Amino acid sequence: MATPVLEIDGLSKRFGGVAAVDGVSLSLEPGRIYGLIGPNGSGKTTLFNCITGIERRDAGRVMFNGERIDGLKPYEIARKGIGRTFQVIRVFPELSALENLLVVTRGGLADAEARALELLRFVRLEGLRNEYAGNLSYGQQKLVEFVRVLMRDPSLILLDEPAAGVNRTLLNDLLDAVRRLRDEGRTVLLVEHDMKVVMGLCETVFVLDHGEKIAEGEPGVIQTDERVIEAYFGR
Amino acid sequence: MLVVALAVYPTFGTGYGVRAMLQIFMWIALAGSWNLISGLTGYVSFGHVAFFGAGAYTGAILISKASWPWLAAALAGGVGACAVALVIGYPCLRLKGPYFAIAMLGLNEVLRALVSYFEGLTGGGSGLSLPTLHATVPIYYAMAGTAATVTLLTYLIITSRFGLRLMTIREDELAAEAMGIDTARHKLYAFLLSAVGPGIAGALAARDQGYIEPISVFPLATTITMIVMVLFGGKGTVWGPVLGAVVLFVSQEFVWARFPYLHQLLFGAIIVAVVLLMPRGVLGLLQVKYRLPRTI
Repeated sequence: MATPVLEIDGLSKRFGGVAAVDGVSLSLEPGRIYGLIGPNGSGKTTLFNCITGIERRDAGRVMFNGERIDGLKPYEIARKGIGRTFQVIRVFPELSALENLLVVTRGGLADAEARALELLRFVRLEGLRNEYAGNLSYGQQKLVEFVRVLMRDPSLILLDEPAAGVNRTLLNDLLDAVRRLRDEGRTVLLVEHDMKVVMGLCETVFVLDHGEKIAEGEPGVIQTDERVIEAYFGR
Repeated sequence: MLVVALAVYPTFGTGYGVRAMLQIFMWIALAGSWNLISGLTGYVSFGHVAFFGAGAYTGAILISKASWPWLAAALAGGVGACAVALVIGYPCLRLKGPYFAIAMLGLNEVLRALVSYFEGLTGGGSGLSLPTLHATVPIYYAMAGTAATVTLLTYLIITSRFGLRLMTIREDELAAEAMGIDTARHKLYAFLLSAVGPGIAGALAARDQGYIEPISVFPLATTITMIVMVLFGGKGTVWGPVLGAVVLFVSQEFVWARFPYLHQLLFGAIIVAVVLLMPRGVLGLLQVKYRLPRTI
């Protein structure tokens, strides 16, 4: 078995008296698409924040490509090769679509520009490259955020609700893009409420409830898991 | 054309005219510097005059106690202000929003108290007099050079990826971090750069006036003026601070000459009007409306 891209061991995060993430362990292998689901408030976004260093974990370990990354600053973790999008869109509104992509790059500007234009073409926003990101539609901003992540060529991509608010045509493109990333050998972990998306895209699904991992497995198996059904629909 | 006109101006201009131009250059340097930190990163500094004062005292002490030539003392003023920025930037730039603004306000008061306290070096509250020297014209050129350098620096920064990274701090600092941008380091660089211009301008102003005292080089009103100039002209733009400095200084002089007590009222009215009607300032508004490039 290959070294896991990401290995989380006993990760916990509390906010006051609430255990947002409670002793979660999971492991991601390279070149696969993983789903992270659970009811609202089950700790999915907090888990993302702990992986990317935005929240400081209280206990546990996060290993990325065999290297410990918990305790590093968010920008250091991003530079190691973890990219993420946010549940609430976080493009840079007064930077143009093109600038949104360029700003996260280092090294040669000409290469960066070529890559940025290629990515904008890919999400059909090439014509809007000089528009302020804040003036784009919700779905378009979502795409800008998505391709901005790719500018840094990350090996692990965390997507927080990529399908929410994106129309059907765009969504299919987006899902194809995620599959293509997987085919290039990258690993994707996505939080998603749209079960069709999760079931159609993910190869392994983790289920969180009240900060704890209650199930893990193939989508088909998860769907019939007693504890998962209970978490979503109650007893 | 404009450069040539400004270069030959002292040979035929009146004493008042040269002095007024010198003041405009000073305000361009100050407003432009404030724009570097606050206009680009969104970290609003309410104590930027502290760097002006630090430069003024550094320069004045070197001139009066160590007999430095004024040009060298002016550069040292820039270095001195930069040193102050380095010491306080590290802790203060961790503060966000209003807390940073207040911390900067506090810094200014602390510096003023410090120079008042160390009487031996600074003359304390009774001030510091510099040896007599008639050098208004050379200082005119030095101040013009400072203003031009600050504006050129702003241009270079705004049109570079470094400048874009500074703007991401203003736009969404958390997202910038998550995208691999070392925001702490970028803020500090911008802060250091924003201290140099006021430091040099402070030392030049001290030399020009020949006398400084704590209340004359650390007034809150100077910070407010810088802020209003940038907000009026357009924060985060290259030429906004220049436009704001020229328009506000000229209108202030104009009104002041006719209505001695009215200029503060006018200034207040401009602040309210700008904030309410065009928060982006003149050039910011044009930039957004007509999709102008970042080079304005």
